[in-house]
Amino acid sequence: MNRFLKILTALLCLSASAEAALFKAETFTLPNGLQCVVVENHKSPIVKQMLWYKVGATDETFANKGGAHLLEHLMFRGTSRVPDGEFNRIMEKNGADSNAFTGHDMTAYHQMADVSRLEVLLALEADRMHNLSFDEEAFKAEQKIVLQERKQVIENKPSAAFTEKLNKMLWGNSPYGHPVTGLSEEIESLTFKDTRDFYQRYYAPNNAILILSGDIDVKTAKPLVEKYFAEIEAKDIQRRPIAENTVTFTETLEMSLPDIQTAKMVHQSLLPPYKKLSGNIYDYLVLAEYLGGGETSALYKELVIKQKTAVSVSAGYRFTTGGNSVFSFSMIPAKYSRKQISAAWQQLDEVGQSAVSQLNDEKLAQIKRKILAGLVYVNDNPADAAYWIGNMMVSGFTLDDIQNYESHINEVTVDSVKNAFLAVQKAPVVRGVLLPEIVPEDEPEITAEEADEQILKK
Amino acid sequence: MSRYSKNKSGIFGKLLVTALILAVCGYAGSVVRTYLNRIDSDEILRQSVLKDKKFASVVQEIQSDKLSAYLLEEHSNPIVSVSFEFKNAGRAHEADNQQGLTNVLSDMLLNGTKSYAPQKFKDLSEEYGIRIGFSATKDSFAGEIVFPKQNTEMAVKLLREALLMPLFDEDYLELTKQQLVVALQLAQERPEYIVNDKLAEFIYGGHPYSRAGIGKQENITALTADDLRLFMTNHLAQDNLLIGVAGDVTAAETADLLQKLFGSLPEKSTGKELLPLEVISSGESINIERETPQAVVRFAAKGTYRNSLDFYPLYIANYIFGESGLSSRLNKNIREKEGLTYGIYTGLNISDASALLSGSYSVTPENFAQSKQLLLDEWQKMASQGVTQEELQLAKDALLASFNLRFASIDGISDMLLSMQKYRLGADFLEKRNDYIQSVTLKEVNAAAKKYFSTQPDFVTIGVKEEK
Repeated sequence: MNRFLKILTALLCLSASAEAALFKAETFTLPNGLQCVVVENHKSPIVKQMLWYKVGATDETFANKGGAHLLEHLMFRGTSRVPDGEFNRIMEKNGADSNAFTGHDMTAYHQMADVSRLEVLLALEADRMHNLSFDEEAFKAEQKIVLQERKQVIENKPSAAFTEKLNKMLWGNSPYGHPVTGLSEEIESLTFKDTRDFYQRYYAPNNAILILSGDIDVKTAKPLVEKYFAEIEAKDIQRRPIAENTVTFTETLEMSLPDIQTAKMVHQSLLPPYKKLSGNIYDYLVLAEYLGGGETSALYKELVIKQKTAVSVSAGYRFTTGGNSVFSFSMIPAKYSRKQISAAWQQLDEVGQSAVSQLNDEKLAQIKRKILAGLVYVNDNPADAAYWIGNMMVSGFTLDDIQNYESHINEVTVDSVKNAFLAVQKAPVVRGVLLPEIVPEDEPEITAEEADEQILKK
Repeated sequence: MSRYSKNKSGIFGKLLVTALILAVCGYAGSVVRTYLNRIDSDEILRQSVLKDKKFASVVQEIQSDKLSAYLLEEHSNPIVSVSFEFKNAGRAHEADNQQGLTNVLSDMLLNGTKSYAPQKFKDLSEEYGIRIGFSATKDSFAGEIVFPKQNTEMAVKLLREALLMPLFDEDYLELTKQQLVVALQLAQERPEYIVNDKLAEFIYGGHPYSRAGIGKQENITALTADDLRLFMTNHLAQDNLLIGVAGDVTAAETADLLQKLFGSLPEKSTGKELLPLEVISSGESINIERETPQAVVRFAAKGTYRNSLDFYPLYIANYIFGESGLSSRLNKNIREKEGLTYGIYTGLNISDASALLSGSYSVTPENFAQSKQLLLDEWQKMASQGVTQEELQLAKDALLASFNLRFASIDGISDMLLSMQKYRLGADFLEKRNDYIQSVTLKEVNAAAKKYFSTQPDFVTIGVKEEK
């Protein structure tokens, strides 16, 4: 083989083994601190704009619970340059799907539209970043709407009381244990001034990340983003530091509620925030996939198919938050007398333990193949990339972190997954069981003699 | 513009009061609403560097022996999506004592084949990034497969075997039935599911459309593998199959794909078309008693079929009335103005044998009567006054500008190709669609509004409380 061919082969091997970046994405930051990411996807001439503010329900004071979410609603109710009602009308006229959501750590505003309308989206989004001007009438109306939203989306689920109580137990007094919407009475006591102040304190270019995903490139996008956002002034942002939850406890909540027809079991382990984990998030993500990621997972095969303890079981790991991260299991038991529930918990523990002890390189390789095989779809709908990148970056990940997803997954080892499981086992745990009001009775225990008698009778 | 100034003049007194309150709060922002520097979105568009582009929506008709499909080639991402649907094979086509069969079948087709044990089948789909799913509507049994182009061979093997030689293992059948019974219990926990089933029962009384969405527990538990096989032989055939293909695949590859996937299915199905159902509503209202923080409301009146001459005019009338989102008439009046609901929506709900104009919202139990009255006032206003030229123009602008959004995801595209065949819109529909919208006149919209909004809808609710 000549030298040239050797180099070429080496290069080919290199490019074949080097992991590709997840997205075709670039980032830049304006002098006022607004970070922008442009993700190219030229399938259809459309674009998803998402503006993620690094502020959410955990930034509220005690007197302002639910205020971040109410403000999100008011962001649609007019500015000094757009009368109330006009924002929605302009979005509609331009065929844009426009909405927003609020979380514990972030608030995101987003639209999907034809790319020819991008400048209108940018203009309106930039405008309401610094010119918001809702009136008392709009405030009162949105306060009522937000109450209706809480009732419809949360309270109307028969399991709502269970979910909120379980969160309180898991998080204690941390604001992460409080519902993002606030409670009804808290929503009712929100004030115009506090909501307005919250906006003025936290809405600024240096507290936001703008994602443009779709039929656009950074060369075209950058001057446009500058055109609409550059004039907005940065603010001195003081986010409320949230104490990490370090209480150690193991608690079980058992609740019977009307209208519940079948039992549900939830296990939540409170791990450190992702930045302070031993190991990294990918170990936990692989662990969740191995134990409870769908119908080929270890827990499903054992508990649902083989032992028939449950009709469904899954595991998950939630880390995109400024607070503690949470590893969880959820299960619908096949039968739910008191004894059967406690046996199911025990089986969950035992099966998890034995599955992890049996993890080897071959099994791990299979899990990785499954995770990586799905990546081809992240570049299908441009909205997915905008959500993925925004959600990670607003939680403090860099674009590089996100782009290197494939190599992060490949770096996970059998040992690192086992260590992650140990951490899950050692972590404070809250377990909850939601039951119908009538629970099947346990069969009375029978002694060996009685059992013999019964056999004799037959 | 005119709408806003109308509001402004009407609330002059309120503005003064607001100004006072704001002053008390120490709010320093501008309250005098003159909007000197008002954002002009039309001007922005005129000057924008980004110009209109149209998605290259060339749809090819692929014929391969007895099978045919619509294909849209899209080569920017190496994935392929195939959506398919067997007509007259949905929930309404199950035997009366087998309600739930199509839902059981949807799951069981993913539980292994003659050559692949259940777990092997699932392992392979996941490892090769192949997504297969089945589902049943009232009318049809539908499926979808999305796969990376490089894994075409494996994708074909899995789906072909699932359709031709599913395993129907006894243990897995028992599990699937058990899971469906649990799904039925979970649905009974949710007021929305209960009210949906009740609406179907009320509107379609006696017709197979009146069946519950998931099935009947006693029917589900009695189902056997033979029942599933018989249903497949009778209903999953080539002559009632519609197919949409989109993605990184050529016409020749598609023809080959069709044969491999569906070419060995029975030629003829025995499913019968359902008798069309005349929906008659009269403002009747029934309530299911239950303690809920919010009452859940469904309402429905007669609508129109996709191919009727009334379709586009009514489509636009409904869009203005309740489909366009936050700026629809209903959301403006019942959500934004009164704060009575988180959201209220209507839609044209079209099935093979019925066409509805229906809607939904939630409301505090005590406020149902008020919200219903507001809704009926708006309903009546549609019939008596129709819509304005300005509203029509806004609706047209919106429907034209959002055209390209339908091409966001590859399975969305293959689904759309399927619908184009189902409703016999023709392969050139995407080329013509914007003209259809453009050509609708104010007179036509208002004639349709008069025709369809003259009869009041029926209401089915759960959790409503009478005002004391």
